Amino acid sequence: MGSAANVSGQAYAFMAMTPVKPGEEDALATYLRGLRGRGPSPLAKLPRTHMARWLIVPDMPVAPRTHARDPLGGQYLLFTSNFDGDVDSYLHELVELMADEAAAIWSHCIGCPQPAEGAALKAYLHRNQVDSGFAFAAYGHASVARVKTALDKRARLVDFVVRAQAMAPAERREAFLKEFGSA
Amino acid sequence: MSAHTAPAGPVTATGTDARNVDGQAIAITVFSTVKWWGRLFLPLLFFFTARIPKLTGTLAKLSFIHFARWTIVKKLPYNGEPQVKQKLRYAHMYFESNFNGGWEEYIDAFSHILTRGMTAFWGSSYGFPKPLPTAPFKSYIQVNEIEADHYYSAYPEATSTMIQRALVLDEKLAPLKRDAERMDPDAFAAAYRAFLCDVQHCL
Amino acid sequence: MRPAAAPQLELPDIQGDILRAYGNRYARTTYVFVGVPDAAAGRAWLSGLVDRVTTAERWPRGHRPESTLNVALTCAGLAALGVSEAVRDSFSTEFRLGMAARADLLGDAGPSVPSGWDPGLGTGDAHVLVTINARSAEALRAALGELESGIAAAGLSVIHTEHGKLLGGAREHFGYSDGFAQPAIEGATEDRTPGGGVPLPGGKWRPLALGEFILGYGDEETRNDPTGRLPSAPDAPLGRNGTYLVWRKLHQDVALFRRALRDAAALYHGGDEEKLAAKVVGRWRDGTPLVRSPDAPDPGFNAKTPGGNDFRYAADEDGARCPIGAHIRRSNPRDALDVLIQKDPTDAGSQLSFRHRMIRRGMPYGPPLPDGVTEDDGEPRGLVFTCFVGSISRQFEAVQVQWLNDGNIFHLGHDKDFMLGDPDGTGKMTVQGDPPFFLGPQGCFVTTRGGEYLFVPGITALAAIADGVAG
Repeated sequence: MGSAANVSGQAYAFMAMTPVKPGEEDALATYLRGLRGRGPSPLAKLPRTHMARWLIVPDMPVAPRTHARDPLGGQYLLFTSNFDGDVDSYLHELVELMADEAAAIWSHCIGCPQPAEGAALKAYLHRNQVDSGFAFAAYGHASVARVKTALDKRARLVDFVVRAQAMAPAERREAFLKEFGSA
Repeated sequence: MSAHTAPAGPVTATGTDARNVDGQAIAITVFSTVKWWGRLFLPLLFFFTARIPKLTGTLAKLSFIHFARWTIVKKLPYNGEPQVKQKLRYAHMYFESNFNGGWEEYIDAFSHILTRGMTAFWGSSYGFPKPLPTAPFKSYIQVNEIEADHYYSAYPEATSTMIQRALVLDEKLAPLKRDAERMDPDAFAAAYRAFLCDVQHCL
Repeated sequence: MRPAAAPQLELPDIQGDILRAYGNRYARTTYVFVGVPDAAAGRAWLSGLVDRVTTAERWPRGHRPESTLNVALTCAGLAALGVSEAVRDSFSTEFRLGMAARADLLGDAGPSVPSGWDPGLGTGDAHVLVTINARSAEALRAALGELESGIAAAGLSVIHTEHGKLLGGAREHFGYSDGFAQPAIEGATEDRTPGGGVPLPGGKWRPLALGEFILGYGDEETRNDPTGRLPSAPDAPLGRNGTYLVWRKLHQDVALFRRALRDAAALYHGGDEEKLAAKVVGRWRDGTPLVRSPDAPDPGFNAKTPGGNDFRYAADEDGARCPIGAHIRRSNPRDALDVLIQKDPTDAGSQLSFRHRMIRRGMPYGPPLPDGVTEDDGEPRGLVFTCFVGSISRQFEAVQVQWLNDGNIFHLGHDKDFMLGDPDGTGKMTVQGDPPFFLGPQGCFVTTRGGEYLFVPGITALAAIADGVAG
């Protein structure tokens, strides 16, 4: 699927909703909630990821007074990610670089290939993708790498401008070149 | 770089559950059920909002959102047994935001500053109270909000504003870096001063 | 939007000093935290105190009391006095948790952690706060003597006592005149509306709803509610004419602050230390706002004259006059936050800040560090910061967390309020200008030595607690 609405600048907004196997909802939730306590997020293995989340949708909300009930018939795992570039190569990276966690997570879902890996898992995620209606990105032109570089440079510059006030012009120029010249 | 071990920077991500937070970043996730006319209206709204930058100008100026999205869910792909083959009667709108600051202050800003935009985006949802007063609106969001099971930001120490300013700063630093090499100290002093005046709101 | 009629104030049921300060004639304030080991004894003692409590009723001319007395209770205090859990649960979450439990949120870290606070504070041992304001040392001694003998006779204990005293020139220890910007409240302090109310687009101001500061009345959200909905408040009769009180003992390292200013000023335009001092706060030491008078203090400045406090930030969007991170611009931004998002800054009102106002009271403690001294003498000194708010989380905590401890909302990155300091000693402040000046390093100028969240009951409510009928 390739709706233009998923794209803002060079950033892509991906979303997949996959049905959780009945009876495995708690195990999946426990696994996902436990990720934080087991070190860095597995999503850190995907260097193009800006921000991402997993959550389990118990059902669609029922608005008060309207009784507009619309049961899903089961719980769904929702995964969304805001990342750089195209979806195809991103999902490829996801199943390759985050293989263990991806398998552990999506094996709890109905229709997930067994083993939950490689091209088959990628195709599964593709098939369950839900296109965005409208995606907003505050800095959609900037990749994760670019954001991190810019933040790092900002931090160094903030430190520099305070120090540099006490320097004589020649010394300041030297220090500036030393700090930023090769960067 | 991930900072799941220690809090990144000051505590500002307040008013929500711990699992919705990664450093400075907060996740908000809300589904709402769309009335029949929303099926027709929302795609048009999305179409024009995406193409007329002015419409998202205030959102951008508020500058506390990294990424946000609105998605209409009308049907879900079928993956075979034992998935219940459910034909949805309604369209459902999925909203997510990645923002920084306090949850309460975020919703307040939406209600007070983006009053018309909020009504445009949620007016076709069942149960949506007007954006103001804020208390019924907040409880509407709270009732419908789903807590993340795992939330991740690649740069948890940074806020959206900080990133946007850092990107501007980086661009403006480049020419000074390039020219500094062939400047004498006095020429550099003048160029450096001009640079500081120019970027003082990015530091 | 204004309602047809402002709510009628029930002044005899509201404790004094909330809506209007007793004033500088009362140069001494002593705070006594009392522990209540036995509910019945505590209630009996409190019963005897009810009639002694100073209310908000105006004093007839010539009948200004020599001392005043006011009472507030921690959540542990409500429990110790026998108020039921169900009733305590009707109070706000942050009040029930107490200030010490909010330390991470409030930035009370490093030297400010609650485990290092003065004994008895933040532990659950402090139950009742009795605040005495006195016009003279003798009046204070008399009032304290009476209070302490009552406490002893009832078998209660004094957990902590803090003696505050006005410094010369009504300044705080860093040397600034203080306390100018108080909110204008409908029906109570409308005289301060220009500069104290809510700035509206186009230059006008309006007073704030009473319910922002006194429980049981419409606040900014509910004042015009057609169903008569009121903001969340404790169960009756406690939820009327009371308010919340934030009490914080803030130690000030005056010598360190002076050295930071002196050293930085050596690099600042012409070494102008006083100007730099003004840039940190946003006012000259005498109180003249920088936006109004950026080059020198205005000898004619008087905050009490009409318009003395009437200024806003629209014409100073880039912070050239008053730095964007100056203390008063952060703690009471007026239109400054809205200026950041409006196309035309003069159109800016206060949509992002009008729900975060507080009534500030407070009193310095400890002797002043003599002029010119830049080495610490080891004396304890600082400020007892107090404020009255209808919601501790929305008004006090949001300001502390989002506006003072972090700079992001003002587009200042993670810069903290310079004067309040940085426990890491790494922060900086940008003084906008041509060229901008970067003030740093930011020392640990202010340290929290204790604090409590308290409830200030109305007189009826206080009597109900004393009688054991509060539920």
